[in-house]
Order: sequence, then structure tokens, then C-alpha cells
Amino acid sequence: MKALWLSVLTLRESVLKGTLLFFFIVSNLILLFFVIALGVTEEGGTTSLTLFGSIISPRGIEGFNAVQFILRQLFAGSTFWVLLFGLFATAGLIPSMLEKGTVELYLSKPLSRTSLLFSRAAGACAGIIFNLLYFAIAIWLIFGIKAGAWEGGFLLAAISTVPMFFFYYSVVAVTALMTNSTGFSIMFALIYYFFSGALAAREQVLYIWWDNPVFHRLLDVLYYATPQISPMIESATELIGPDFMRSRGMESAGGFDPLPFVWSLLSSSLLYAFAAWYFSRKDY
Amino acid sequence: MILLTSIPDFLNFSPPMAIVSTTNLSKTYETGIFRKTQIAALSGVSLSVEDGQIFGLLGPNGAGKTTLIKLLLGIAHPTSGEAAVLGHPLGSVAIRQNIGYLPENHRYPPFLSALQTLMYFGRLHGIPRSHLVGRARSLLALTGLSDWATMKIKKFSKGMLQRLGLAQALLADPPVLFLDEPTDGVDPIGRKEIRDILTTLRRGGKTIFLNSHMLSEVEEISDRVAILNKGRLVHVGSVKDITAHRLEYEIQLTAPPSPEVLSGLRALCKHVEVSGNRLTVHFFDQTQTQAVLDHLRTSGLALESFSPKKSKLEDYFIQLLKPREEA
Ligand SMILES: Nc1ncnc2c1ncn2[C@@H]1O[C@H](COP(=O)(O)OP(=O)(O)O)[C@@H](O)[C@H]1O
Ligand SMILES: [Mg+2]
Repeated sequence: MKALWLSVLTLRESVLKGTLLFFFIVSNLILLFFVIALGVTEEGGTTSLTLFGSIISPRGIEGFNAVQFILRQLFAGSTFWVLLFGLFATAGLIPSMLEKGTVELYLSKPLSRTSLLFSRAAGACAGIIFNLLYFAIAIWLIFGIKAGAWEGGFLLAAISTVPMFFFYYSVVAVTALMTNSTGFSIMFALIYYFFSGALAAREQVLYIWWDNPVFHRLLDVLYYATPQISPMIESATELIGPDFMRSRGMESAGGFDPLPFVWSLLSSSLLYAFAAWYFSRKDY
Repeated sequence: MILLTSIPDFLNFSPPMAIVSTTNLSKTYETGIFRKTQIAALSGVSLSVEDGQIFGLLGPNGAGKTTLIKLLLGIAHPTSGEAAVLGHPLGSVAIRQNIGYLPENHRYPPFLSALQTLMYFGRLHGIPRSHLVGRARSLLALTGLSDWATMKIKKFSKGMLQRLGLAQALLADPPVLFLDEPTDGVDPIGRKEIRDILTTLRRGGKTIFLNSHMLSEVEEISDRVAILNKGRLVHVGSVKDITAHRLEYEIQLTAPPSPEVLSGLRALCKHVEVSGNRLTVHFFDQTQTQAVLDHLRTSGLALESFSPKKSKLEDYFIQLLKPREEA
């Protein structure tokens, strides 16, 4: 109960600090853009989607299919940035609990350190998740109402970002605990973000650095031992209009693959467990 | 079972319960890269604090006072030794359920108001909302912050923050309070107010563990005092033990006393120091004072001034700390 309260209070802290508000305003501006700009035109007998009057449906894909196609692009292209943005908004929440003079107050309350850590992380994630879902549902409604295409897969994909963010936040939690610094947490999480992209494509990108089997296996281990962000995004994209994509024989239409989620669940659980262990031993 | 419970009351000797007890408690911080630098913040501290006392822990900055509280509350972990608070082993949630803590240099989230701060930390303590609002308001009144209840605390002065910290520590109405330098940065009037609050709380049955580097903050209100220096306890005792040294007076005479007068004085009280016209005399009680003054007068010596030696306790404090600092 106290732990639940801490999550709620953490959420309130990020609201009061204005970071979440900024996130919310930006989401609404993007939504407003779609509300104003998105349209449908019936030129040459085919239904096409338009932005400010110019056609955005790819040639040969029309109507509902075009919505699926565009939502896929939107999801694949923006999730990375949304997660990154969410990171900026929340990376400070654990270090702010650990500040000298504040940490003593938290640690003197009748909560275990583990529940302190997890409620804080949960509260941090809750704000982002709320925003993400709000944004996704609004986009879904806009495309549904304007283009008449109700693509449920997009909502599913949006929901899949909830665990994604929570898995990713394990990296922030560990860095925050070890460095006590918002700056370092953001920096390391950013480096990790890009590094994890490189790890996912290690066969093409990282193996060629050093042609050594030991180095290659080390990269493999790293890949499985840390949350797999881009593979999760790629996999979740397949939830949007899957049959249509397969029927057109489009590339990367492998369907939704739960494995990146399973591996990320395992590796982030490990990271969180390490964070809790580290926190429980530390002197403040 | 029956045997145990049927022991008659007069045989059931129960010593006053120790609220805090430590045995050889030590803490060595390891800092720096590879944890190479070792700082012995506390070395073999054994003490006990009894129910209903104000226990003053004194010592210069860096003596280890804050470290001791942090160990007792599970904020830092001891390197060796043992301790219990309210009979619970260190680190247990039951301790934190029953204490209030005013940390040194505490920082509350600056975007909250005083009332919000109390609500926030009250909820973390598990106090139900219905109970909390009234409690928070009455504590703001107690600490004189009612008029600033809704002001953002980033605008608070140090003294106001200390009072808010005290209100926070009292939220759950805990039987034991740990206050780390509660009057730090507070003006003299505010300090007096805080001391008055503490005496009222003690009268209400609370046990208060009070840290300070300023003797004057502790001696007036504490029942027992411990002095800590460089991590070691150098003195534990009742305040009366220490304030006995208070009966030391400086007597300024118009002329230096003759050897006869001096030997007469030494017969009256044990400790007499002379330096020119000035005498430093140590009394056991007030009747001795009169005898000494009479003796001086009958010897025809005129008094220029007669004054209690100021903050003798301060001197005693410094004396206690000195040999260790030289070592
Ligand atoms: N977290 C810490 N890491 C390393 N050294 C510390 C830490 N906290 C306190 N110390 C050191 O321990 C000693 C005692 O500090 P402290 O308990 O704060 O003393 P006091 O409260 O009496 O001023 C000091 O030398 C201080 O520098
Ligand atoms: Mg201190």
C-alpha cells in the first residue's frame, strides 16, 4: 500500500516538475497536426490519404491498406524517439530520491529498499506509459474517424511499448543507483540505446571491428544479457496490418516475434535484481 | 509457561527498557576508486538510551554523530558490533515504523508546499489520509508554520525548514525521535522555541536522541549526554555530572592574596588557582561559596568582581577532546 503510494507520488512529482507536462504538450501538438493535416481524397477512382492536401499513400496501396502502411511507418519511426523522450522525462526520478538530505528521509520510512526502488521505477514508467497510450489511442481515433480505417493492431503495438519502456528503464535504474546522477543516467542510457541498436545488428556492424570469435561471442552474450530495444520495436511493428503485409510479400514481414520481449524480460529482471541488491547494500 | 506468568510482581524485576542500545558499534567507510581510502567514522561505541530521556550526543564536526544515527536507522550499515532500537535488530522495518527522524541538512522536494510535504511523507509512513490532514495542520501550528502552510518550500528560510523537518519527524507520533542538529541555522529565538518543543515532547513521554556540535544546545534540555570524538565515546553521563563543574567562579581582588589567606582558602575548598589578583575557585555547593566570601572579607580583601566562570562545560568539553587530538 505504501509502495503503491510512492508510485503515485512519484508520478505526481514528475507532473509537478513539468517534465511530463512538456511531454504531454508535445504529444498534443503532434496530434493536432494530424487532426488538421490528415485527409482523404478520391482521385482517379482510388482512395488515398493526404497530408495538407498532398497524397501520402504509396503508389498502389489504397484505402485501409494505406492506413496500415502509414501506421507501421509511424510506429517503427517514432517509437524509438518516444522512448528516448520518455527517458529524458524520467531519468531524474531515481537520482532525485537519492540526493543527499532527501535519501535519508526516504530510507527512514517503513518501506524496504526494494519497494522504494520499484515503486519509484513504476511511478516513473507510469507517467510515460499514460502519455504513450493516450497518444496511441488518439492517433488510432484520428485515423479511424478521418480515413474510416480502424487498425486494432496499432493499439496492440502501442500497448507493447509499456513493457518495452519498463525493460529499458532497468538500465536507467542501475546507472542511477551507481552514479547518483541524472546527467550520467541520461548519458549512459543514451549510449546504451545506440549501442543496443548496434548489438542487434552486430553481425553487420560490430563483428567487422575485430574478426575474433571470442569477441563475437562476447557481443552475443551482451546482446542477450541486456534489453533488446530495436528488435522489440521491429517485432511489435509486425502487429500492425500483419496479413496485409504478408500478402504483399513485403520484406521483414516475419510476423510478431515474442522472443525479443522474452529475452528483454529476463535481462531486465536481472538488471533490476542487481539494482535492488546494490541498493540494499549501499550506505547513504 | 504457567510458571513464568505466575511469578509474583515483586520478583519481576524489570530494569528501565533501553530504547537504543549499542555494543562495540563500528563503522568504517571505504571511499575513493577501488574503495581504498578508509575512514573510521565510529569505533567501538557502546551506549544505551533509556525510555523517556532526552539523550544528547555531542561532538565536533566529523566526530561520527550523524553516522551513529544512520546506523541505528539502517541508512548505513555497521562494519562490526551490534545494536538494537526498541528491541529490534538494525535494519528492521519495525524500527522505522516507530521513529521520527530529522536528518541533518535535509532537503524536501522544493516544488511542494509545507502542507504537501507533510502529506507526502505521512503517506509514505503509511498514515491514512483521513488522519493525516488534521495531524499535519496541528503540527504546522505547533512549529509555528501555519501561515506558510501552502507556500512552496523553496522559499523557506533555513529556520523554517528545520521546523518543517521537526513537524515531519513528529507526523506518525512516534515514541522515539532522532534529531540531527535540529537547531542548525536557526536564529536564537527559533532555537529557544525548538528547545521548548522538545521539552514538551519529553514531558509527553517521548524519547529523544539529539545530535549537536553545540554544547549550549544540549546541556539545558538533556537528561544524559555522551561526547563523541573521532568516532570514539569519550564521556557518557548525566548532565548533572558535568554541570557540577559549573560551580567554578572567578574572583577578582583589588590586591593579590597573601599566602596565609590562600592556605585558609585551600582549607575551605579543594581547588584554588591564583594568577595575580585573580582567583579561580571550585565549589562543591552554595554554602561553600558563602564561607569563601566571608573568609576573604574577614582577611580584609576587597572584591572587585565575582562571577561564575562562563561555559565551564564548554571548557570541559574541549578538555575532553584535547588529548585525543594531540595523539
Ligand atoms: N557516506 C560517507 N562516505 C565516506 N565518509 C563518510 C560518509 N559519511 C560520513 N563520512 C565521514 O565519517 C566521519 C564522520 O562523519 P559524520 O558522522 O557526518 O560526523 P558528524 O555528524 O559528527 O559531523 C567524517 O570524517 C566524514 O567525513
Ligand atoms: Mg553530523
